[in-house]
Amino acid sequence: MQCYFFHLMPWPFLPDDFAETYDSAWVWIPNSLYDPVKGHTLYQEYINTLSYADELGFDGVCVNEHHQNAYGLMPSPNVIAGALTQRTKKCRIAVIGNALTLYNPPLRVAEEFAMLDVMSGGRLVAGMVVGSGPEYFSFSVDPTHARERWREALDLIVKAWTTPGPFIWNSKHYFQRYVNPWPRPLQQPHPPIWVPGVGSLETIEFVAQRRYAYMGIPFFHIDVFKRVFSLFREACEKAGYTARPEQMGWGVPVYVAETDKQAREEFEPHLWYFVRNLLRGIGLSPPGYTTPRSAVAIIKNQDKFLAVQKTWDDVERGVFAVVGSPETVRQKLLHYKKELGAGVMLTGCQTGTLPHELARKSMELFAREVMPYVRDQESGIRSQGSGIRSQESGGENQESGVRN
Amino acid sequence: MFETLKKLKYGARVLLSRSGGQPETVDVNGRSTVIMHAGQGAPFVYLHSALGESLMWLPFYQTWAKEFRVLVPTHPGFGKSGGFDQIDTVEDMAFHYIELFDALGLDEICLGGVSLGGWIAAEIACRWPERVKKLWIADAPGFWVDAEPLPDLFRVMQDRDALRELLFHDPNAHMAQLIISAERKDEDLMTAYQSMTVLARLVWERPYNPKLAQRLHRVRCPVLLLWGAHDKLVPPSYGEAYRKHLPQAEWKVIPNCGHLPMFEREAEFVEAVAKFCR
Repeated sequence: MQCYFFHLMPWPFLPDDFAETYDSAWVWIPNSLYDPVKGHTLYQEYINTLSYADELGFDGVCVNEHHQNAYGLMPSPNVIAGALTQRTKKCRIAVIGNALTLYNPPLRVAEEFAMLDVMSGGRLVAGMVVGSGPEYFSFSVDPTHARERWREALDLIVKAWTTPGPFIWNSKHYFQRYVNPWPRPLQQPHPPIWVPGVGSLETIEFVAQRRYAYMGIPFFHIDVFKRVFSLFREACEKAGYTARPEQMGWGVPVYVAETDKQAREEFEPHLWYFVRNLLRGIGLSPPGYTTPRSAVAIIKNQDKFLAVQKTWDDVERGVFAVVGSPETVRQKLLHYKKELGAGVMLTGCQTGTLPHELARKSMELFAREVMPYVRDQESGIRSQGSGIRSQESGGENQESGVRN
Repeated sequence: MFETLKKLKYGARVLLSRSGGQPETVDVNGRSTVIMHAGQGAPFVYLHSALGESLMWLPFYQTWAKEFRVLVPTHPGFGKSGGFDQIDTVEDMAFHYIELFDALGLDEICLGGVSLGGWIAAEIACRWPERVKKLWIADAPGFWVDAEPLPDLFRVMQDRDALRELLFHDPNAHMAQLIISAERKDEDLMTAYQSMTVLARLVWERPYNPKLAQRLHRVRCPVLLLWGAHDKLVPPSYGEAYRKHLPQAEWKVIPNCGHLPMFEREAEFVEAVAKFCR
């Protein structure tokens, strides 16, 4: 299992009465609650944390895109990733992802990802995401064509990376007279593509067919991941091959401390800050964003989402977070690694208010006392440069040879 | 208790009038369109709101059907009408309808609708004024009034109480409780989601047509503008905007009425439209 360190860059300074006063931490949460002076320090700390993950030997760091919200302060994850290309040396930089439909033209993603790949010496993981429901409210982008446009945009980007330009692109939603991005990506034929998802069958099948990697986003019940990865494996078989573990990513918050008791004491209040404040409004789902059947299924599966969990027992039972001593975390992760069959783990611990020193302590304990045990032999030998670990659209495995 | 009885009474009226409308499916250049119709006389086309009230033959259609040939088509994407993949804008809806009228051989019609339906009617009348004998528009969007921005229906649609409050003058009255009921079956949820999807495609990125103002002068026929005095979704100022560009229009405000006059002030609404179309 490869271990990535995931960061949302959440806003920790919401007022104590936030949950009683506001119905959402998204879209219409007044931006007077944001303080740019505190924000400056926060970005510094968060970027420090991510570069520390590199020093500690994590396989990669993950950043992602959200707009007009307190949950994640990276409306442009590419800006943060740009900083990380200069602050990290060895780890992969996974931008998971760019919400393709919010970029017009999406050619911009082809350009910026290529920049990041070249700047980082071929360390980029290119995440392509439809974008969560609230983004469609935030940007007034038509949600009813979201999936159709996302696929067109993805095809445009991949073609822009793999076909010599200039060429003409003409699809239902995009017409480009000159597709000819400078720079081109360093990894050939292109950076690994990860698609974050929350379990829609449509996406699972698409990712399987394309032989990309499917990243199950965190904050869901363990049963959801089990179901999703089993569907993914089936979809890969249907597409004529056996899913490789690296094609499946399990996102879950992980917090490690000296003992189980201490871990819970240190982490629990900060998890509730996240659940009670920052998850408010994340479920906002614009009509047409998914099929009517999926929309009803989502409404009915709400109890599988972290936002509605009430007690620590709920959190533990659903494995919404893995919290404990190194031994406990090791055992749980090994157990679920086997049960899920996932080859990538997106861990993270910063839920907003967690003090930076505690975040660093947990990361250190994880890196020292957990990571070596949950890593596979192959992926553990990072220093030898495992090159491009995810498969490409053509299905070949390439060695980049450029890293290190 | 009294309100429950009233609800039951409306249910009985729906049952009694149900046999009045015959659903048929018409192929409109590849768009399979469901249409209900009844009655004899001058052709009278009702274009429904995003509520999708065309899926059932309702008592107010039956009242009109006593004197007109009432046709109630279901917009592409709603209910069992197909062709949504060909619809991106309200203009596409207008083109769909002129082709439906061609298919049905309707040369001159009384045309009108509530909310989204009223807007589509206005768009049709701008483009093919010779086909519209009389035009009525009720509680319709189409414009943008800076002083009174349209509220975000998509923000409140999950909250049944807030939705009822937005759509009705009196959210506690039996019709409000009946139309926006608290309990919903999966099937109803899916139908509503589908309807909201069509609406979202039309209005999400820009909830009005900036060209409407410069085109409305093309409408030559008599016009009736009907508005609920307390419409909170599309306030009467939007009706005033139509009025400004349709100088011939008769302007009628329905007191104690919100966004859906056909349910909240049925008798008054039905008679006002009938009188205008006679």
